[in-house]
Amino acid sequence: MAEIAESSDTSPDHPAPKSDRREEFDPETMRRTKPGAKRLVLTLSVLVSFLIGFPLLWKSVEIYRAPLLFDDIDSLSKRMESEPLQFPCNFRAVFVGFDFGSEDFDRADDLKSSIANRMDGFVSGTSQCGTCSSNYSVSVVMESNSHCVQSRGGRRSCPYQCGAISSVDFASDDESIDGSLERVLGGECSGLAGKVYTVVVVNEDAGDKAVIGKYRHAWIVGRTQEEKAVENIAEIFVKVFSNGGKEEGLIHGEFMPVGADGRIVLSFNLLNTDPQDWIYDWDFNTIEEHMLSPLVEALGPIANITVESQVLYHTPKSCYASWDDELKSFILNTGDLPFFVNSNEWHLDTSTAAGGRSKVLQLVLYIPSAKECPLNLQLPNREISKANGYISPMWGGVVVWNPKNCLQDPEKYPTWHKISPQDLQKIFEVFVAQIRQLIGLKSDNLFIGTSGRSIMLASEKGFTEWELDALTRQHTCFNLRSCATTLSSLSRLVQSLPRMIIKDEIGKQVKLSMEAAKQAESDASHGIYDAAAVSSRQSRALAEDAFFHPSIMSISYYSFEHCFAVYSPFFLPVSLHVVLAALREWKRYQRENKKYFAWKAREDAS
Amino acid sequence: MAFLSILVSALLLLLPSRGSSAVAAAAAFASGSAAIGEGGAGEEDFSEALLLKPLPDRKVLAHFHFETGAPETPSYGRHHRLFPKSIAQLVKKFHIQEMELSFTQGRWNYESWGGFEPIASSNAKPPGVELWAVFDVPPDDVDASWKNLTHSLSGLFCASINFLESSTAYAAPEWSFRPGPGSLRYGTLPREAVCTENLTPWLKLLPCRDKAGISSLMDRPSIYRGFYHSQRLRLRSVKTSSDGTHSSIILEQTLTVVLHPNIQKTSTVNYGENKLQPSWSMSSLFGRKIGGTCLLAKSSNVYLQLDWDLVRELKHLQNGNQELGVESIMEESFLSNPAFVLSDEPDKVINEVNSRSEGSSAILYEFSVRKHSDLGPFDLGFTWKTPIVWSCPQLPLRVSRFLMGSGNERGAIAISLRSTRVREGLTNAQAMGESCKLDVNVFQVVPWYIKVYFHTMKVFVDGKPIAVSDIIEKIHVSPSEDKVSPGVLEMILKLPCSVDSAGFTLEFDKGFLHIDEYPPDANQGFDIPPAVITFPNFHVKMHFGEDNSSKQSAVLSRFEDNIPVRSYTEVLLVPLTTPDFSMPYNVITITCTVFALYFGSLLNVLRRRVNEEERFLKSKDKRSSPLSRLRSKLSTKLGGKPVVTSQSSARSSSFISLKLILKIILVAGIAIAWQYFSE
Repeated sequence: MAEIAESSDTSPDHPAPKSDRREEFDPETMRRTKPGAKRLVLTLSVLVSFLIGFPLLWKSVEIYRAPLLFDDIDSLSKRMESEPLQFPCNFRAVFVGFDFGSEDFDRADDLKSSIANRMDGFVSGTSQCGTCSSNYSVSVVMESNSHCVQSRGGRRSCPYQCGAISSVDFASDDESIDGSLERVLGGECSGLAGKVYTVVVVNEDAGDKAVIGKYRHAWIVGRTQEEKAVENIAEIFVKVFSNGGKEEGLIHGEFMPVGADGRIVLSFNLLNTDPQDWIYDWDFNTIEEHMLSPLVEALGPIANITVESQVLYHTPKSCYASWDDELKSFILNTGDLPFFVNSNEWHLDTSTAAGGRSKVLQLVLYIPSAKECPLNLQLPNREISKANGYISPMWGGVVVWNPKNCLQDPEKYPTWHKISPQDLQKIFEVFVAQIRQLIGLKSDNLFIGTSGRSIMLASEKGFTEWELDALTRQHTCFNLRSCATTLSSLSRLVQSLPRMIIKDEIGKQVKLSMEAAKQAESDASHGIYDAAAVSSRQSRALAEDAFFHPSIMSISYYSFEHCFAVYSPFFLPVSLHVVLAALREWKRYQRENKKYFAWKAREDAS
Repeated sequence: MAFLSILVSALLLLLPSRGSSAVAAAAAFASGSAAIGEGGAGEEDFSEALLLKPLPDRKVLAHFHFETGAPETPSYGRHHRLFPKSIAQLVKKFHIQEMELSFTQGRWNYESWGGFEPIASSNAKPPGVELWAVFDVPPDDVDASWKNLTHSLSGLFCASINFLESSTAYAAPEWSFRPGPGSLRYGTLPREAVCTENLTPWLKLLPCRDKAGISSLMDRPSIYRGFYHSQRLRLRSVKTSSDGTHSSIILEQTLTVVLHPNIQKTSTVNYGENKLQPSWSMSSLFGRKIGGTCLLAKSSNVYLQLDWDLVRELKHLQNGNQELGVESIMEESFLSNPAFVLSDEPDKVINEVNSRSEGSSAILYEFSVRKHSDLGPFDLGFTWKTPIVWSCPQLPLRVSRFLMGSGNERGAIAISLRSTRVREGLTNAQAMGESCKLDVNVFQVVPWYIKVYFHTMKVFVDGKPIAVSDIIEKIHVSPSEDKVSPGVLEMILKLPCSVDSAGFTLEFDKGFLHIDEYPPDANQGFDIPPAVITFPNFHVKMHFGEDNSSKQSAVLSRFEDNIPVRSYTEVLLVPLTTPDFSMPYNVITITCTVFALYFGSLLNVLRRRVNEEERFLKSKDKRSSPLSRLRSKLSTKLGGKPVVTSQSSARSSSFISLKLILKIILVAGIAIAWQYFSE
């Protein structure tokens, strides 16, 4: 190589004899030939190929990150924060037995607008997620024996059949009125926004009362003024049918104990504190069949519920009860309750069958031992709790049941007792009430509003239809919110760790979750509660799946420092060589070029 | 925990006006409970027992046995009274037909604690964790079920059972481990440390836990101080009705410990004291007494077992003394027998009938816990009066396994079987027939990094090598696949009854693991799981005449089961080459440096102009410093060469480089040749 280069690159040795011909030629400053570019091209090409290769190398050590829809996630979470999901609701007020003319449309419209005004008054201030705050329509029907008048406008998805209401006998008992109203009002509506909440106001000489039924209607009977009735109707619409009859601040929708995969496991535990005193057993299969399965079925749209039970022994509580002579029982007051559950001795296992991220609600029936029997819970107002139980949100509930032969001396060798069906029935009524409270409903049969009190009828299923509607709305809203927060924290996490591997699966889950969330939003705006609940649950589950994907858990150890440490022993010395060579060659080329030009200039001049 | 506790205050609530439905429900209750009362046969039940046995080497065996049964009803896995819910859910979720999980510490001493008896056959387990399970699922789903099961069990028992998930850790034996077809998976973790954190969840499965009954004896320090400790959980599904429609799941939990009684300084210096077996009681063994019964148990008994050989010795002793009749130790007058004294009177003495060894049969004393703990805590004491020496029933062949060879490259595994000559009677009896053969089932799992060459198997009988095909009746080998599956060897050896010793060896190469496959503390070596040796001709089965007694007690009915004799060999520790774990980085650095040097010099060669530089140097030389002139002079003197002109020097330099390259090639060639011939 050296020889070849030598021949092309004219060295000043050869032209030495010529120098005597031209004395002024100085090999230090001039040359006759153009300097060769071979070496320059060579070094530069190496440098350039290195420069070209660098992005390729960078690409090859790059980690895979599936594209996530960051913008969509941001917009979803912003939407969820700024404007809570609102469902359309249809309300209808039916006035029976009021005086009006046959063509008195204006009066119906007046009533309608006054009800709407009152409702706005109740709604104002709080725009809770999952209610129908301002997104509602009201229609008014006035009916008498001869004719009926309906207000104009509004959504007409579910027309009211005039005269049908006259078949209902408002003098009979509440259960039968409820049944016959359901026959008259319910059923035939099956449109998209088909759920209409009705309040029937009957102007009759009967005991003044307001009743909220098991379905989607309520009725007010009595000689009432229109004004008063309007007030009443508006309150029932907003506080009961729209908000689910809940008091503000009792339990928020965020506390709904539904697992991320949309499942709840109700785990019933019978605790025999000391089997040396007595051993109780229950007939769980029967109670499940008669009391729990309707409840499970009713809550189907909200969560997939499974029920299981076990009996545990030797399970003392972890706080002491004091004897009260007056009440002839052991007393625990509210302050002791946080220490009641003894997690060391109560092996309330989380269910293996549930798996995943299901929520397990523990429902505990505590049978005290002989030395602390009867055991009663005391309310803060020093009264004895009638239910003898308490709940702990998101954990479950405890019911204390005192055996009948409590104060007698226990037998030496206790035999198995079965809790009698009547007692078990009572205990499970308390449990059902506790489940209602855990889910966020009131367990009261009275609704006390500002404009009077009304009786609420309880359903055999444990949940009335309007309660289920409200729950579904809240659940949908809660799911969408939690989906949005999960996704936005995922996107923040991903953006903050640029060297974290993100698998395609995660990208797919995020995409599906976003799609399900959009579907839920559109369903909700059309008033399809069940479908909205289902797709919202799906979106939340997918978002959680993406967030808790195992590949995210193990953040890649392939940090930048590691990369540097692996590649620097090669690239640092090599790049030094390459760059220096290129620089030198370039400098030499310039110098030699200058020499050549100097010679050329002299040649031209001469 | 900030419980936001809320009192359900006025809870009159639910359905004040729903009289009709409540009545209907109550009526349904009545009918439902009647139906259950009729079909009351399928109830869950629980029984507990403790078996104590003095061992010949001055130790005491304590065997706790708890058994819970549950019928398979529709509510199985959801509603349970006694059966642990978590186990029932496992069974239901993974369709487990049979399962056994054992946690063991220490090694069972087959020579002095016995091998040919029910407890040794079913409770002597290899150290660490052993898990096998039979699933009732299609063959394709078995592996998935196994993997999920290992994870669930790992969470349930606070152990690293989840390491059995990887396909390199478990095997699917076809016939050698257990007879009968089934989708069986088998895995062991020899290095798992067993301690209280494994015992606590195990106790949690018992209805009384360790609060009452026999399990209250389990004082953790005493139990873990023992020589051997094996905690076992076994699930079986049993057909209860003859037509096979009804089945039930039985959960058997056993804890077997071998303890050394605290030697009580009883009397003054006795000349025979060191020969006399140490006396013991429950409180001296466990430091606790049984305070009361677990009321949930159907039966709660303590048994004291006297071995065959011990009974024979006792009879000899009595015959020698001529004081009492032969029957006395089985009679109520046992308290006055010359050999030992019991602190409590047994409720029942159970004799084994149809004993295997002639002349003697095992004796079991039964103590009902309920009866004995009535007046005060039950503390069974056993005091020796006369020194007695006896031995335990031995295995037909004593099995041991060891490594051969040295170095980090290859080695061999050897399994040797030596006759114990205790089955003399049986051997002779069988020798009457033409071909007296002794079957030995061998099941061995070898991890993939021990690359066993199965073709190198050599068999020796009585020290002489013989052809493999002469002795092996059936063999099944599945060679290991690197990082995928372990090697499995299953075979049946047919040995002549008169055999004194037999053995076989297998050679192996030690494999290399990937850097991240090494466990922490890799320098300790790698464990090869124990081989399982089964003797299908021999079955341990005790037979108790009185049917009622064995029916009552779960532990006795287990003894009556027909279990083939099984033993485990030792765990082998194989040292593998363990790398210096910073090596990868060193390799990277060295390689990169070499490459960089090569690259740099190549670039220089391509770029440099030798002539021009030399000229430049020369021109520099003219006005160079005295130091460089001195250097050039020195080099001239040392080299003995005159200062040459630039041109000739250029030529010579190129010539020199050629020579240099030739020299290097020569040296490299010699090195290669040396390497080649030295191989």
